Amino acid sequence: MDALTQLAGGFSEVLTVYNILLIFLAGMIGTVVGALPGLGPSAGIALMLPLTFGMPHASGLCLLTGVYMGTMYGGRITSILINTPGDAPAIITAMEGYPMMLRGQGGLALGLSAFSSFIGGFFGLAVLIFFAPVVSSYAIYLGAPEYFLLMLLGLSTIVLLAGDNMVKALLMACVGVLVSTFGSDYISGHIRFAFTPELIEGIDFVAIIIGLYGLGEVFYNLEKRVRIDLGKPSFNIREYIPPAYAIKESGGATVRGSILGTVIGILPGAGATVATFLEYALERRISRKPEEFGKGAIAGLAGPEASNNASVPGSLIPLITLGIPGSGGTAIMLGALIMFGMQPGPLLMIKSGDVVWAMIAGLVLANIFLLFSNVLLIPVFVNLLRSVQGHLASVVIALCVVGAFSLAYSTFNIWVALVFGVLGYLMKKADYPTGPFILAVVLAPLAENYFRQSIMLGQGDWAIFIDRPISLGIIIAMVVLGGLGMATKRFMKRREPAARA
Amino acid sequence: MKHMLKSMGMAAAVLAAAQAAPASAQEFPERGIEFVAGYGPGGGHDTMLRSMAKIMQEEGIIETPINVINKPGGSSAVAMGYLNSRAGDGHYLMSVTSSHITTPLTSNIGLDFSDFTPIARLGIDPELLVVNAAGPYKSIDDLLKADKVLNVGGTATGSIEHIVAIQFQKQTGKKVNFVPFQGDGDVVAALLSNQLDFIVTNPGTARDFIEAGKFNALAISTEERIDALPDVPTFKEQDIDITLSLYRGVTAPADISDEAKAYLIEKMTELNESAAWKSGYLDPNSVVEGFITGDEFEAYLEETQGVYRETLTELGIIK
Repeated sequence: MDALTQLAGGFSEVLTVYNILLIFLAGMIGTVVGALPGLGPSAGIALMLPLTFGMPHASGLCLLTGVYMGTMYGGRITSILINTPGDAPAIITAMEGYPMMLRGQGGLALGLSAFSSFIGGFFGLAVLIFFAPVVSSYAIYLGAPEYFLLMLLGLSTIVLLAGDNMVKALLMACVGVLVSTFGSDYISGHIRFAFTPELIEGIDFVAIIIGLYGLGEVFYNLEKRVRIDLGKPSFNIREYIPPAYAIKESGGATVRGSILGTVIGILPGAGATVATFLEYALERRISRKPEEFGKGAIAGLAGPEASNNASVPGSLIPLITLGIPGSGGTAIMLGALIMFGMQPGPLLMIKSGDVVWAMIAGLVLANIFLLFSNVLLIPVFVNLLRSVQGHLASVVIALCVVGAFSLAYSTFNIWVALVFGVLGYLMKKADYPTGPFILAVVLAPLAENYFRQSIMLGQGDWAIFIDRPISLGIIIAMVVLGGLGMATKRFMKRREPAARA
Repeated sequence: MKHMLKSMGMAAAVLAAAQAAPASAQEFPERGIEFVAGYGPGGGHDTMLRSMAKIMQEEGIIETPINVINKPGGSSAVAMGYLNSRAGDGHYLMSVTSSHITTPLTSNIGLDFSDFTPIARLGIDPELLVVNAAGPYKSIDDLLKADKVLNVGGTATGSIEHIVAIQFQKQTGKKVNFVPFQGDGDVVAALLSNQLDFIVTNPGTARDFIEAGKFNALAISTEERIDALPDVPTFKEQDIDITLSLYRGVTAPADISDEAKAYLIEKMTELNESAAWKSGYLDPNSVVEGFITGDEFEAYLEETQGVYRETLTELGIIK
């Protein structure tokens, strides 16, 4: 109950008119920033940072975390409406949400994803409030070998994202691996394929997804002369509140997504991305209607969206208990804590506990505000899109170009986005799946680096993967799950002819 | 009417003179100064420049507006290119740290520190040799006596942490196995969970863990002990000749006027002497004072480049 008393203390600090207004505004700003392709949590927090200098520390932190949470809500808007995810965890949202949009269910997709985002965020916050110290003391025992196996698990979902043609999927995964090798390699210290100085840090991942999804879709639609008919603007709010059947269908997925997102979101690096892909694979595996996936499945949208938001409080756990940032957004938060004169590290909760609890209380509040503001904002976004639907291609191109430019304030990334836009168009035309490609781009370098780190830690000995109990546990789980999967497949095949006969 | 026009004309003349006066007394700066960060918002470069801009204006060190801009990309290569294209113009100041040396050595950008005008080194980030307090090592001797190859963690191959680890091996003859990590946080987590025998890291990263009794620092890479960690002996005290530190400084474009250079050095000196800079930037970031300017800073950069070049060549990272 200690946590509750401290949380109550946090709330007593946050519940002033000034702070409530601030958190509300932060959520709105975050939603808009997250909705713009190219601007994600890192950019949102960095943009707000100078504003917080004159504020009391608790208010400043509430503003930043509110923006962080808001970008997670906002990211789904462009994914669903114009097929342009703003960051890696929103890719699944585009894969399932955009087809719903094309079917005229954009409002439902937005409402449902806002709802599951809320549940996911809430679940993650509960874990943050009650178990943060316990969780982080265990999380540090996961090292490079465990991370490598986890990335492998993430990469294995390529099989599920493959669609009809496994060869095409594996081919695309290989191209993804190739693209991910550009830039400096911190393990060897060498720089690979840096034809111009801009490539020293590799190809910007966000420029890739802006091109692949946003521009690629536009090019394809231009050729096919697709006209998206979204109907006339309507402000009937009932269109946007998810009906009972949808909530029922997505309930299980949302809960599973929340748990998975919190657990995996705590891990640094690609925690949130791996969580969304694993959750997607899980939902597809246990679904009674797996053929709907990729064509706008409600469970496939809700589950990963819950994981996505559950990972935000998850990633804050190592930051506030140990001062270790697990993502781009939390790395900037770390900088902000230092600028506020606090010392992120194991003593943060002891030295500045009141401020941290006020920040957590602010997050709880932000999550509630965000649910309501996002549901109420859906008509605005949908109708905004409806009013420009005749010129949608030019609007999307403008957003993509501005988004790509804003990544490094240079035109270089616009060219990168264009190259991947053409690639995305060709892939769509020739029916190559984008999922395996993008997953390989995100996870292959991490898998590679964790693998090399493991072997280095073991001083050349592979035994490190089975000497460590957690690592051994993951390997056994993978083998058992894989074996079971194959066995049931065989069993089903044998039963099918029998049933027919 | 005529009278009014005349007085208006006079007023305009007075105004013009008033505006011209400071310009003729001091040609530089003619306009606002731009601070260039080679990394994105929120990074170490960005926070240093923004703290600097804030303190310089609040303390009235610089009256002209200061604009902080980010030119991220290519481990500061993009910013170096940007500054290089503004040669001769002293209204630009770029933050520099070890990447100002390593990026030119490991890539083909064709520029190095000598293509700019070094203004000042504002401070140094020493390197600490840190062990887990719950582990078996209480002193450097314990490390040397260990009956195995020691696993050492730090950020990136070729980083200053790596160079310190290699120097440690050279000086003591104790074989170490350097494992690179992507950031300070990962290194700290790996030491906490006993995956590593020791790490090389900055006081800013380790200070809180040392205070909490989780880590022990066994040596520091400065010439003398530092005020923030008075109990940590230097490597030199323990007969290991390592005095390598990360530096933080600022540089201006090439071929700027002597006047502009003198102005920038003077302003940096004023900044260094202000209490707000110490309490607002140096102390919270655990940066140790080590202020040098102009030619002295340039000589320091040349020496540092020599050490990096030698070690990186030995490691096979550069040819």
